[in-house]
Amino acid sequence: MSPQEAQRKSRLLRGIHRTVTGLHPALESLMAAVVGLLVGAILMKIWGFKPWEAYRALIQGAYGGGYELSNTLAWATPLILTALTFSMCLRAGMFNIGAEGQMYMGALAAVCIAYFVLPPGIHHLVGLLFAATAGALWSLVPAALKLLRGVSEVISTIMFNWIARWLGLYLTLNILVDPIRSEKSVSIPTSARLPVLVEGTSLSYGIFVSVAFALVIYFLLWHTATGYELRAAGLNPTAARYGGIRNKRTMFLSFILGGMAAGLAGATIMMGMPPTYAAFGGFPQMLNMGFNGMAVAMVGRNHPIGIIIAAIFFGGLSSGGGWMQILAGVPLEMVNVVMGAIVLTMSIPELIRVFPAIKNGTYKLIRSLRDGKGKAVEEGST
Amino acid sequence: MSDEHAARNSEMFLRAEKITKVYSDGTVALKEASVEIRSHEIIGLLGENGAGKTTFTKILSGLLPPTSGRVISPAGPVRFSSPREALDFGIGMVHQHFALVGTFTAAENVALSYARPFSRIQLAKTIEQLEALMEESGLGVPLDVPVEKLAVGEQQRVEILKVLSRNVDLLILDEPTSVLTPLEVDELFNLLRRLRDAGKSIILITHKLKEVQDVTNRIIVLRQGELVGDVQTASATTEQLAQMMVGQAIEAEAGAVELSDEELPASRTLKAVNRTVDSILQVENLTIRGNTGEIAVDDISFEIHGGEIFGIAGVEGNGQTELVESLTGLRVPDSGTATINGTNILGVDPRQIYRLGVAHIPEDRWELGLVLPFTLAENAILGVHRWEQFRGALSVLKWGRINQHVKQLMERFEIRAAGPGAPAKSLSGGNQQKLIVGRELAKNPDIIVASQPTRGLDIGSAYYIRQTLLDMREKGRAILLVSADLDEVLAHADRVAIMFEGRFMEVCSPADLTRERVGMLMGGVTEAKETA
Repeated sequence: MSPQEAQRKSRLLRGIHRTVTGLHPALESLMAAVVGLLVGAILMKIWGFKPWEAYRALIQGAYGGGYELSNTLAWATPLILTALTFSMCLRAGMFNIGAEGQMYMGALAAVCIAYFVLPPGIHHLVGLLFAATAGALWSLVPAALKLLRGVSEVISTIMFNWIARWLGLYLTLNILVDPIRSEKSVSIPTSARLPVLVEGTSLSYGIFVSVAFALVIYFLLWHTATGYELRAAGLNPTAARYGGIRNKRTMFLSFILGGMAAGLAGATIMMGMPPTYAAFGGFPQMLNMGFNGMAVAMVGRNHPIGIIIAAIFFGGLSSGGGWMQILAGVPLEMVNVVMGAIVLTMSIPELIRVFPAIKNGTYKLIRSLRDGKGKAVEEGST
Repeated sequence: MSDEHAARNSEMFLRAEKITKVYSDGTVALKEASVEIRSHEIIGLLGENGAGKTTFTKILSGLLPPTSGRVISPAGPVRFSSPREALDFGIGMVHQHFALVGTFTAAENVALSYARPFSRIQLAKTIEQLEALMEESGLGVPLDVPVEKLAVGEQQRVEILKVLSRNVDLLILDEPTSVLTPLEVDELFNLLRRLRDAGKSIILITHKLKEVQDVTNRIIVLRQGELVGDVQTASATTEQLAQMMVGQAIEAEAGAVELSDEELPASRTLKAVNRTVDSILQVENLTIRGNTGEIAVDDISFEIHGGEIFGIAGVEGNGQTELVESLTGLRVPDSGTATINGTNILGVDPRQIYRLGVAHIPEDRWELGLVLPFTLAENAILGVHRWEQFRGALSVLKWGRINQHVKQLMERFEIRAAGPGAPAKSLSGGNQQKLIVGRELAKNPDIIVASQPTRGLDIGSAYYIRQTLLDMREKGRAILLVSADLDEVLAHADRVAIMFEGRFMEVCSPADLTRERVGMLMGGVTEAKETA
């Protein structure tokens, strides 16, 4: 390869890279959504369903009217918070997979307020405070293990999810158990229930808690020195240290805030979801909300505002999926496949940004294919 | 066996003909270098940083393809497209950083290097082979201990063993002595001599003149990608080698000539006018350990006055990085003191150090100096983001004020960028460095620690940044200039220290130094010695 040729090739690669990634993130996500919907449509077409009708049913079921929209927002409420848990920590350079467990602990702490009598308003606040504290405390152990002993937070948070799950089951059925119905915990009294916004749906004032928390996080990250430090430490820990930023402190802070968000997610479900306002063994109302939050964080580009939009989109898929089944005759399994395809496609842009290894690997593959022999790729600069 | 005896048996093993390497960004790393490698000889490969040593050996060992030129063996031209092919041909390289799995034993590491996907690891056979090989070469390594428990010298021997077990004829060692204790160095050299006597060829990359003179038969010298010397060790003097390595005078490269012509006289006169009596930075008996626990900076003392540029020259990796890191709060030294205007700065958080009047232009602007995905504005407050002018109540950042500040910086330091909101990675290298320099000088420092401030920059930006440093000197600031670019240090410093293995070989005015002498000092030689 002559020097001129080499230069031209690398310039071409850079050009392609810029065209693909130079887009505004929102536009990129929109393109990904279109591609995802197309993939879903092709899958449905292959198996003999009518994509057009199915998507119409989906949109109608998700956003078609006040009732439908309310259900979508009700789904979005905890998702916004668990997504914030993941993205907050990711911004600081940590993988917090523990939203699920932190959410369970927050939910149970919220249930505990059934044992006090307080005036409404204060009772709500105490409930939210309890939940946020419990979530934060639960996330502190993996954070401390990471910072003091170097334990990978990925593994420890996943393990803590299981501990939370079984500890939660024990607490629900043995300690916080309802004296009359032994399959559930005591119910949160009316003085601490978040009022329902739209009658007949599960949309409660919890949505305001979620959105407010997202806005607070947004302000914190982009308008305070603390958030600046957190983002700098996540993007380049070495440069952050050079800038006098204490990386361990920012990591700790991200885990505390993340745990608070997950705890609040538990509270919005316990205090805001009719009709029982209580925890059941196995947590059917909350199951996988923490994990789905990670997908929402990816679709929302790890940005608090993006997460709100992504959660509403995701909530729409969840609440409208049923309508695909009813109106378009698409079986539940197919609905899940189509949703999986859409979410996966929409996560790709952010996944690539977070894990540059994916991008580099793809480049290498393309280049080795182009060179014909799949031989060692030239080092040096590109 | 004597050198003469070895030489008599020597025969051509490989010849590199007119090897040129141009990297895809246009950097010319090698210009038509031709070298013949014979059996029964140890070749010393000398050169400064960036002279092309590494590129040359990478081409020989199959890591890089040459842009033009060819490698010829007695059987005809050869071309390696991977290190494995080179290894099969008989060329093995021991890198400066070992490729060993710490929890595996030496035998397991060697067996692993044979492994192909889905092949069986034949540990018993490998151990048998290794024991035979160790007996033959006199190279002793415990085979059944995890290598992370071995000393660095032993780990290196595992690496050598790994390569030798492939039955190579040419062994390339990249700076093998930089991690070793003097005793381990002696052992290594004895081993290399035995291997040579057994008929192997060895290429030793180093910048230590004494070592090359001790152990090699022949020395080749690269400077700025060109082969400038190919001499028998016995017939070369230390001065000659030093001179070949650093060049004659300041060469007409990279605009250095115009710079030195204008500035050399100026610097002398300025010194008398502006140098303050009191020293700003005072360092005493500073000893610092490197990342692997070795002594990186060994008991050095110096002071820098206001209105003075104190230059540190030397080959990289001789303690400069550790020294700079200790003075800027990034590394805690072992012992000694360092004060700025009488206040201790050792072990102090970088944030406080900046408050004490230290500015730091780091050597690695991508890793240390900038958060590349951040915008210009965000990067412009790194380290000063908690200062009152940028931060209000509740730690809220005053973006209006910050953007205004960035616009001023862009104007004053000629930073060409789309605006304060453009990401730092979209800037050219020169503009990135100007951004860092601007940010650091905006701290209104008493002392500026500048580490490799012009590395990799275009001529215009480099000139601008040097000029800025000279301006700061004129304003009575103290400047610590650490650079691998010898011409830069000699042309700008009022006093220069030459650093070798953690010590200052000499501290004096650049006017009192000849280039030859600098070359020798950089290679660790104080007294010229004739090796006839």
